[in-house]
Amino acid sequence: MSASVQSFRERYKRAVRDPDLKPRLLAFQRSWRHSRDAQIQRLEQRTERPFEDLRQEFAATKDRVRASWDDYISEFRSNAEAAGATVVELDSAAEAVEYITSICQSRGIDLVVKSKSMVSEEIDLNDALERRGITAVETDLGEWLLQLAEERPSHLVMPAIHQKRQYVAQILGGELGTHFDPDDIPAMVASARDGLRKHYLQSGAGLTGANALVAETGSIMVVTNEGNMRLATSLPDVHFVTAGIEKIVPTWSDAHDQLQLLPRSATAQQISTYTTCMTGPQPGKEMHIILLDNGRRDMHADDGIADALRCIRCGACANVCPPYQVVGGHAFGHIYTGAIGLVNTTFHHSIEDAAGPQGLCVSCGACETVCPVAIPLQQQILHVRRRAFDAGHSPRWERLALNIWSKPTVMRTAMGIAALLSSAARGLGLVQRAHVRLPLPSRLRWRSIPVIPLRSGQTLIASRQPQTPIASSPAAGLTVDLFVQCLADRLMPQAVDATARLVEAGGATVQVPGGQHCCGLPAFDAGDWDTSRIMARQTIESMEQHTHPIVTPAASCVIAMQDHWPQLFADDPDWLRRAQSVSDRIYDLAAWLDGPGRLPNNSLQPTSQLWAAHRFCQTANRGAPEARIDQLVARLTDSEPAELAEADVCCGFGGLTSLAAPEVGAGILQRKLDCVNATECDILLTNNPGCAIHLNAGAHAWGDAHETMHYAEFLANLLPNDGA
Amino acid sequence: MTASADLASRFATALSDAQGEITDASSWPEVWELATSLSSATPVVSPDAFEQLRRGDRPDPADPLRSIADRAVGITQARLAIAETGSVLLIEPSDVDRAVSLLTRHLIVAVDRSNLVADLAEGFSWLAAQPQAAAYATFVTGPSRTADIERSLTIGVQGPSRLSVAIIQDSSS
Repeated sequence: MSASVQSFRERYKRAVRDPDLKPRLLAFQRSWRHSRDAQIQRLEQRTERPFEDLRQEFAATKDRVRASWDDYISEFRSNAEAAGATVVELDSAAEAVEYITSICQSRGIDLVVKSKSMVSEEIDLNDALERRGITAVETDLGEWLLQLAEERPSHLVMPAIHQKRQYVAQILGGELGTHFDPDDIPAMVASARDGLRKHYLQSGAGLTGANALVAETGSIMVVTNEGNMRLATSLPDVHFVTAGIEKIVPTWSDAHDQLQLLPRSATAQQISTYTTCMTGPQPGKEMHIILLDNGRRDMHADDGIADALRCIRCGACANVCPPYQVVGGHAFGHIYTGAIGLVNTTFHHSIEDAAGPQGLCVSCGACETVCPVAIPLQQQILHVRRRAFDAGHSPRWERLALNIWSKPTVMRTAMGIAALLSSAARGLGLVQRAHVRLPLPSRLRWRSIPVIPLRSGQTLIASRQPQTPIASSPAAGLTVDLFVQCLADRLMPQAVDATARLVEAGGATVQVPGGQHCCGLPAFDAGDWDTSRIMARQTIESMEQHTHPIVTPAASCVIAMQDHWPQLFADDPDWLRRAQSVSDRIYDLAAWLDGPGRLPNNSLQPTSQLWAAHRFCQTANRGAPEARIDQLVARLTDSEPAELAEADVCCGFGGLTSLAAPEVGAGILQRKLDCVNATECDILLTNNPGCAIHLNAGAHAWGDAHETMHYAEFLANLLPNDGA
Repeated sequence: MTASADLASRFATALSDAQGEITDASSWPEVWELATSLSSATPVVSPDAFEQLRRGDRPDPADPLRSIADRAVGITQARLAIAETGSVLLIEPSDVDRAVSLLTRHLIVAVDRSNLVADLAEGFSWLAAQPQAAAYATFVTGPSRTADIERSLTIGVQGPSRLSVAIIQDSSS
């Protein structure tokens, strides 16, 4: 019955080889999103309060508990003990296992029926009991199926979501000695009911987790849909509760607040079937509550991570996670799955266990938008990644690539050579639609290689005529510094030129400060903060040459400057101040064209082409108004965008992810391009050079009809003809 | 519509959204009549409900759960009904109290009309004020269900596969 965890590489390979996983998880994510949004909307209407307020309020409750943690733990303990329960606080998984085993042995218990408990998974309880001759039977149907298949949960609340019905029919048939029709799920469920029933009747102990521990009365609250938890807490004489110490809430009113958020975020239900509140054992029976630390106090002591202790284990972070949809929870996580698993595994298990899946996260931030307790997951994952990097858990090629990237002169030479090779490829007839066709290994064949132009964006700007102003924007007469961005400079020089022209169209003068290279984002994303700092300093020094507003075509760099730089220089007041004074001046082009450099409505030529807009996920997910490039393009060109489904879902570029885990990059890209193709648009617009390059290369490799472009280029092509 | 009628209608809607059923039975004799019409076997009755009905089989206190497992119809009484969610609140400190709601196939829950409250917040504040009740209190919303096999919603996995609620008009008068 053991289900040991394979190495990350093994789990990843298994996941990408499973042809059914992606479509099933995609269908799940879409239907969950739809139902969950409807539930949250109903909640907002009923309470007349936005989701943001509700989640911040409950998050504050959880934070308040941790600020006086020991007081609340002792309040819970004394109330639970007064009700007749035994409460033990244990530091480690080994101690918890030891405690449960010794109680079982002293009572002569050889069968434990379990209701779903992630803490019991965390401490690997089933295996440990098995080694001491005690059988543990999972009674939640999904958990039982996993136990029979010797697998681990791949989702926090839908543990067997990766299993398909044919497989379930096989393992269940094997256990029950029957043949099942895989399409007759009710028959399988009915037989499982009977198969599980005998275990309850024979068991000496029942084990449950706790969704909340209510301090004011020493009660536990457990939420299930099947009702197995009620059986497991009623039939046996001993009830074990395994719960992390972060599960404490002060009052019943707080437990209610948690219940407003939990089922809606977990299974998109208004409420689960059974919400049971228990205080002490029933007369003549025993209740043992194990309050487990196992790394939780270390999390609390770590400012960058402590907020993760708000987690109520709803699994919502996985339900919107694009890489999770491609590989599932066995690869995207360890014992704990989804975004939260990428964070807390470090503390409940080890940094080695946490390191493997780090490279799968595309840093899109979708998880944060649905987290019902507002955990800054994206930032926390980046913190864990930094630890993993510092501990040496990152691929050597990645370190080397970042090292090269951080050296502008080496990069210039390398890109120059690449440009010459591109040009040679053109001569050999290998270039179609600005991409090189090369015999690539199959895991990379989903993406063509973009041609690298001979002239960079900076060169292009230096040798052209400025755009004639078309309107007198508030910025008319000002000088604007252009931050061209490294990728755009080399791979999309036309977008750089277009950005300059749009700024000039509002009457400002554009200049390109020398010594520009990279803001440091790729290295920051990879956890290599030292290299990231080197690049950030180069950028700051370059931008410090002037004091003008800075405009960039790259939405990603704006986030790097505003969100990452303060973290990079948190311990260096001088550089922090310098970084701040540069990031205070930065404008995403879209924000500029709607703000100081505003161009009037309909000031560009109309277009007859049907366009759709993919909004850079990080910008969109943090609710930044400049993400609404669809609105900007519409108002400038008097046109309407094609409606693009999942417009805010990542395109799969994810910085280094598409290199480190090409199957993930390809899988997410396919999801995006399917949505794009459904619009039948002529042109796909995006506000980030990285996305544009990725989307374009994928569309080219798959032969999609539409063109992909940075919106600046599209808009600049519609500037009124000034005869220049 | 009176405030009370409005609550009852919201309760019925929420209950049916959760695959539960509202019944027309509005008195204890009608509940008994309903239960006996559903199956030829004698209904099993929780201790609470027995005080009202004075008939039916009761779980054997020596072995309450095994004694009634998988009986066709059971009757129990709820302390509150929540209009917002269609939930009923069962207070069941011991095995004998729980047996009927845990293990019968079709569970009928009777609740006094005067105990119908608007939302879950009221349910929780009631619970906070009744420390004894929180010994083992369950908000039950519809029949037992699972979606663990390919997310296919299947009713009646471990607990009752049908859940009916009868709202009893004030019996005190």
